[in-house]
Amino acid sequence: MSTLARNLRVVRRMTAADIAQQSVYRGAWIIFMLANITMPIISLLIWRTALASGAQLPVDERYITTYFVLLGFVTMATSSWMAGFLAQDIRLGKLSSWMVRPASLLTGFVANNLSEKFLKLFALVPMIGIVWWIFRDSMTIPAGPGRWALFAISLLLGAMLVFTIDILIASLAFWMDDVSALVQARVIVASVLSGAVVPLALMPSWSKGFVDHQPFRYTVSFPVEIVAGQLTGHELLVGLGIQLGYVVVFAAIARLVWSAGIRAYSAVGA
Amino acid sequence: MHSVTPVIAAHDLTKTYTFHQQRAGLGGALKSLVKRKYETRLAVDRVTFSIGQGEVVGLLGPNGAGKTTTLKMLSGLLYTTSGDLQVLGHAPSDRKHDYLRRIALVMGQKTMLWWDVPAMESLLLHKDMYGLSTAEFDRNVAELAELLEVEHLLNVQVRKTSLGERMKLELMAALVHGPEILFLDEPTIGLDVVAKARVRSFLADVNRVRGTTILITSHDMDDIEALCSRVMIIDHGRLQFDGGLDELVRTARPRKLVRATYATTVDAVRLSGLDGVTAVDVSGQQVALEADREQAGAVMEHLTRLGPLVDLDVSDADIEDIMRDLFLRRSTLGDLS
Repeated sequence: MSTLARNLRVVRRMTAADIAQQSVYRGAWIIFMLANITMPIISLLIWRTALASGAQLPVDERYITTYFVLLGFVTMATSSWMAGFLAQDIRLGKLSSWMVRPASLLTGFVANNLSEKFLKLFALVPMIGIVWWIFRDSMTIPAGPGRWALFAISLLLGAMLVFTIDILIASLAFWMDDVSALVQARVIVASVLSGAVVPLALMPSWSKGFVDHQPFRYTVSFPVEIVAGQLTGHELLVGLGIQLGYVVVFAAIARLVWSAGIRAYSAVGA
Repeated sequence: MHSVTPVIAAHDLTKTYTFHQQRAGLGGALKSLVKRKYETRLAVDRVTFSIGQGEVVGLLGPNGAGKTTTLKMLSGLLYTTSGDLQVLGHAPSDRKHDYLRRIALVMGQKTMLWWDVPAMESLLLHKDMYGLSTAEFDRNVAELAELLEVEHLLNVQVRKTSLGERMKLELMAALVHGPEILFLDEPTIGLDVVAKARVRSFLADVNRVRGTTILITSHDMDDIEALCSRVMIIDHGRLQFDGGLDELVRTARPRKLVRATYATTVDAVRLSGLDGVTAVDVSGQQVALEADREQAGAVMEHLTRLGPLVDLDVSDADIEDIMRDLFLRRSTLGDLS
C-alpha cells in the first residue's frame, strides 16, 4: 500500500473516530455556529443601513448582502484551529506517541479539522439557509455551475492555505516556549486582512495594491468574491493562480520549518 | 550474551540539551526578555552497547540519569548529538515507515489510546496505520485480548477503565502489529500488585512466544527481576554497568546474607572472630550477618552449632537495596563493568 493511500485510510479512520467523539458536544456546535453567523449578520445590517442612508460605497447592496450571507460559511470552511493545539503537543511532548507510529504526524489534525467542519456544517447550513431566504431578493446568485465549481476549488485552496499557515506558526513551538501570542496576532491580522470583519472592497484605495495581493485575502475574501463580486474571467484565473501559489509557497516553508523543528524536538516528559 | 546478531547497536551515543535558565519572579522574567543565559547539559555521554534479538534488557538509573533520553533516541523521538546508532538496520531518527512498523514504544505516563471512544477504535486505527489484513488483525486482537484478559473492555470507553486496565489496553495497542522491538518506559507505574504481576507475566509471554526484544526502564526492581536477564545501569549519562542481574549482585554485593532463628537467646560473643563475616546483628533469638561467598558454607555450619536452630536462610542481597546503595553512592559503579 502506498504511503498516500495508507495516510488517507488513517485520516478516514481518524475522522470517523473524531466525529464519534465530538458528536457528544452537540449543544456546543450550535452555540459556536450561532456566534459564527451573528457577527456577519450584524455587519450586514449595519452596512445595509449605511447604504440606505445614502453612504457612498464602491460596492452595491447586492454585493454587501451576498458577501455577508456567505461570510460565515466561508470563514468556517477555511478555518483551522490547530496551531494552539499542535504547539501545545510540541511543548508538552504529546507529539511523541504519534512520532513512533508509521503515519504522517498531521493526519490527526487533518482528521480533526475535517470532522469538526463536517459537524459544524450540520449546524451552520440551516442557519445560512434561513438568512439566505430572508435576503434572497438582494443577493447575487451566479448563473450556471461554473462559478460554483470555482468557488468550491477556491474554498479548498483557502482551507489548505490557512492550514499551512497554522502549521508554520505552530512549528515555531519547537524553539519557542509559547507561541500563543503569535497565534493571537495571526487571528487579529487575519480577521482584518482576510475580509472577515470588513469587505476588502471597502478598504481605502491607497491600500488596494497591498490588500489585493496579500495572502490572507485568499483565505476568505477571494472565495466570497467569486460568488458575490464582479470578477472578470481574467481576474478569476489570476486570483486562483495566486491562491495556488500561496498554498505551494506556504506549504514549502512550513515543511522546511517543520523538518528543522523535528530535529530540535525535545520530547519533554517521560 | 552478545553473540546473537544485534538488533540494536549503539556506539558512543551522545545527547546534549540546550536550554535557557530563568530566575523565578517578575524580575527574572523581565531580565530573560533582554538577555538569556543558555546552558548545555550532557544527558547521555558516549554510551556503547548492543542488544541481540529476543533479549529482555532493563535500563536502570536514578531520575535524570539519561535512561529515558536513551530510550527516546532508540525509538526515534530524539536526534542523537553524536555517535552511531542502528536499530533494526535503521537510523531511528529517520523515522522510516519500515522502521516504525517494526517497533513500539509504551510510555507509562503517556497514552496512545483515544479517551472518548472504545479501545477498539484505536486498535482499528493501528490496523490501518500498520497495514494489517483483517485476518491478521482479528487473530492478533483475539490472542492479545485473551492473554491480557481484556476481552470485555474492548468496547468500553477508555476513560471509563481503571489505570491497570488502561495499561493492558495500551500494551495491546502497542503489540497488535507484532513489533520486533518493544520499548517500555515505566510500564507498571501506578499499578496495583495484581495488575503489575499480570503485566509482567504478559511481557514474559510476549518475549517467549513471539521472540520480541524488550528494552524496559523501570524503578520497580520487581519488574526487572521478573523480566530481565540483563541490565544496563546508566548514571550521569554514562553506562556504568552492562551485564547479567546475577553478575550485578555478585559484583556490587559479593557477600551472602545469612539469617538464623533459634529457639533460645543467642550469645553474640560466640559469633565474634569468624572468618569472612561482617555486619553481625544479634537480636534475641535472631541472628543476621553477611558472609563472603567462599566462607558461607563454614559460617552456616558454625551457626548450626550455636543453639537449637528453628530457621536458616541464605540469600543474595536484595536488588532493591543494591540499587539504592549504588544510586546513593553514585560514584563507584564504573568499577563494576
